[in-house]
Amino acid sequence: MASYKLTEEGKEYLEKGLPEKNLVLLLDSMPQKTATLGKLIPKIKNFPIALKWALEKGWVMKKGDEIILMKPVPEEIPEEEALKKIAKGKEVDEEILKILIERNLVEKVTETYKAVEEALAKAGNVVEVLTHELLVTKLWKGRKFKPVDVVTVRKKLELNKISPGKRQPYLQFLSQIRKKLAEMGFIEMRGPTIETQFWNFDALYQPQNHPARDWWSTYIMKYPKFGNLPKKFTQAVKKAHEKGIAGSTGWGYRWDPRIAMKLMPRAHGTCLSARTLANKPKIPGKYFAIARCYRPDVIDASHGVEFNQVEGIVLGEDVNFKHLLGLLKQFAEEIAGAKDVKFIPDYYPFTEPSCQLSAKHPELGWIEFGGSGIFREELTKPLGIDVPVLAWGLGIDRLAMFKLKINDIRNLFSKDLNWLRRS
Amino acid sequence: MPTIEASYQDLCELIGRRIEIEELKELVNFAKCEIEEVEGDSLKIEAKDTNRPDLWSSEGIAREIRSRAFKPSFPEYEVKSSEVVVRVDKKVSKVRPYTVFAVVKNLKVTPAFLSQMIQLQEKIAGSLGRNRKEVAIGVYDFDKIKPPIKFTTVKPDGIKFIPLDFNEALTPREILEKHPKGKEFGHLLAGKKEYPIFIDARNEVLSLPPIINSEYSGKVTEETKNVFIECSGFNLKFLMPALNVMVTAMADRGGEICSVKVVYPDKTIVTPDLKPKKTFVDVSYVRKISGLDLSLDEICKLLEKANYKILKKGKKIELLYPAYRNDIMHQRDVVEDVIISYGYNKIRPEPLKMKVEGKVSEIELKTEKVEEMMVSLGFQEILSYTLTSKDNLFRKMNLKEEKVAEIENIISENWCVFRNWLLPSLMEFFANNQHVEYPQKIFEVGDVVLIDKKQETRTRDVRKLAVAIADSKVSYDDIVAVLDAFMSLVGAKYKLKASKHPSFIEGRTAEILVKGKAIGIIGEIHPSVLENWKLEMPIAAFEIDLSFIL
Repeated sequence: MASYKLTEEGKEYLEKGLPEKNLVLLLDSMPQKTATLGKLIPKIKNFPIALKWALEKGWVMKKGDEIILMKPVPEEIPEEEALKKIAKGKEVDEEILKILIERNLVEKVTETYKAVEEALAKAGNVVEVLTHELLVTKLWKGRKFKPVDVVTVRKKLELNKISPGKRQPYLQFLSQIRKKLAEMGFIEMRGPTIETQFWNFDALYQPQNHPARDWWSTYIMKYPKFGNLPKKFTQAVKKAHEKGIAGSTGWGYRWDPRIAMKLMPRAHGTCLSARTLANKPKIPGKYFAIARCYRPDVIDASHGVEFNQVEGIVLGEDVNFKHLLGLLKQFAEEIAGAKDVKFIPDYYPFTEPSCQLSAKHPELGWIEFGGSGIFREELTKPLGIDVPVLAWGLGIDRLAMFKLKINDIRNLFSKDLNWLRRS
Repeated sequence: MPTIEASYQDLCELIGRRIEIEELKELVNFAKCEIEEVEGDSLKIEAKDTNRPDLWSSEGIAREIRSRAFKPSFPEYEVKSSEVVVRVDKKVSKVRPYTVFAVVKNLKVTPAFLSQMIQLQEKIAGSLGRNRKEVAIGVYDFDKIKPPIKFTTVKPDGIKFIPLDFNEALTPREILEKHPKGKEFGHLLAGKKEYPIFIDARNEVLSLPPIINSEYSGKVTEETKNVFIECSGFNLKFLMPALNVMVTAMADRGGEICSVKVVYPDKTIVTPDLKPKKTFVDVSYVRKISGLDLSLDEICKLLEKANYKILKKGKKIELLYPAYRNDIMHQRDVVEDVIISYGYNKIRPEPLKMKVEGKVSEIELKTEKVEEMMVSLGFQEILSYTLTSKDNLFRKMNLKEEKVAEIENIISENWCVFRNWLLPSLMEFFANNQHVEYPQKIFEVGDVVLIDKKQETRTRDVRKLAVAIADSKVSYDDIVAVLDAFMSLVGAKYKLKASKHPSFIEGRTAEILVKGKAIGIIGEIHPSVLENWKLEMPIAAFEIDLSFIL
């Protein structure tokens, strides 16, 4: 058989008597054995309950405002006797138990209650951890809480260190650059990681089998080896290389489509500019890309396995070299926070004129911050573009390293969780 | 980009005046050069124009500075005849078909001359000559040679001579086996039945191109008065300018250039040809591209500074330029010279006035949202290389090797394939951080490269999200809770379907489905995978293709 215990109300009645008993005892003490509601209510706790049960049991009668005692006070009241028994853990009659449960004076003892009670007993009736169960069973009441070490922090951290979620700092830096460029009116370009040499070199007027092609060393793919050439542009690019286009002499060699079809991981972001030019860009228009690039450099503190290039183009009927310098100056000021800039003649196989941007960073001093130029006509004409195209690239990794306080470019892709958590 | 060494004093002497080093640093910009290091008299200079070998030596840099900064004078070179004849045997057409020659007389060979000459020769053969394949250059003591010269071929053991820096006579085959240059460049003659050779009238060997000169005549010292220069290769288009650059540099130090008659079976050419070349530029085009409001006279003056000769002034300016230049293909090249002469830093930069609206690409906007969501769930973002090893991608993940995008010319096995999923990157990260406090909760949003035959590039980039928890106790329920929270943040309904995957524990792995399509996998990492990575903490993870929200 399940066991039962007194509720808070049950305990109160056991101690102070049932309210209906207290009512009749009070009436019995009065000379007329009667009293008005006004007199009784202040003196009897839980008066409505007392009256309800006294009426039901036929002990009193209500006449208007008067309550009249009908029977002498019984010596023994079954409910009280039952409460006493239950408090002692004894069994009681089922019928009376039903009434007591209904009156919410007695409740069934749950498994949880038993378990919590046992655990408390084991712990010397001291609360160690306040739990949901302790709150539900109310067993915390009247018990002491074991004090904890509220001063020492370290022990707690060893057990349960909280590491907040965080963005990767270099990616966050790149996000800011991305937003900045969009604010400056540039539309973001996208393109595949693995490119044909056509888009990486040929469309940029970098001749096959010429030093300009290995201007820097590049990877080639073992698998897959060859991609497709864009039919629409192949002939014009071939002509630009072989015989020249737009008044150019061309490179003067036999252009080999098989070389152009070879696949390679993108070696620079400029292939995205070439694809954009070929894909009906807006004129006037400004475009940018942050492109993951791949070159088989010797890996050291300033050369990573992979790196990101930020670059873009500006197309417009009336854009010229002065605008290119204006744009570079704006980049230096707004992105590198530079006050002073220098422009230095430079060489890229795909731009003419070409210009290097040196910016005086407030703390780093003079840094090479960008490469730029105006795309050669041998590049733009075959892709169907008849307006000048300013092309630029920014060396933002140096800036990122400065911001993130690191000296080794490889740490932009940090594998150190401690550093990431701290940064 | 060639990096060259030069003597500060020699460079000043060639320019014709003493220039403070700080000023020189500015002036070399005219030659698209940068002084990278100064150590006493020795300068390390980066020559940035890979298409202008004439600027890869002190002589060429000095020539450019003299004219741009001080006194323009069109560099014209007189070519006398040396009366020397070189006969080209038709047999060479199969091994190294072309050669061009010159004689430079009355030289005063100084240490600076020698070091610049050797350096220029090496840089041209290395860069323009693609490591001697396209252009190999030989310089000889002319007085030790008896013309006419024969350019022919011999069997690998058909002749013996003492190669440079050796003291015993070797056959060409032995040279390829024993001489350091033979070992370095021998592959250029691999598979040839006969080797090319230059021989003089006394049957003395000049050289075995493109490998090595002979000790007898192929050595230039401070005692040398007259030199004989030869370039050999496959295309006169490369050989002629290479020879021109070599001889004009020597002429700038006082040498007299003399021509050589090279007789081919089908034609005779006289080299070097230093006749200036013709080009033109339109005044309006100069103004349009530069944005500078220059008069015709101003443009002409700037062109003269850039070593052009004005033939005819007008809307279209007709010009001559020196034969050592081989880079002018379009009038755009001439425009750049005008602007460089003007001075980049004298130009007032003009702001772009273009009313256009910028935009971050959709995929990056969404990616950033995903990153922020994962951060809000308490995860640390990581960034890994997309290149990895097959070992990481397959073996350590208990997977069979499959076709992935793979690089041919790898520098390390560690970076030879493109990842086709992200989880190995996260595992590698965990393996690197075993000393760091747990729990470690990390994620990466990044691209993987998948093979896709239908694409123009046979591959396709896919943006994915991978999430993982490593802790002393971590279960499928822990990671499902994260997936569920993520999915409710992106507002997507998903289903899980019990599944099998070699990287995960069977019975604790599920496929993640969105709209009935599998988008990823979730589960507890198999302990044998953990062992492969030498990890001692359990890991639960999921990886999904983000296309469904992009």
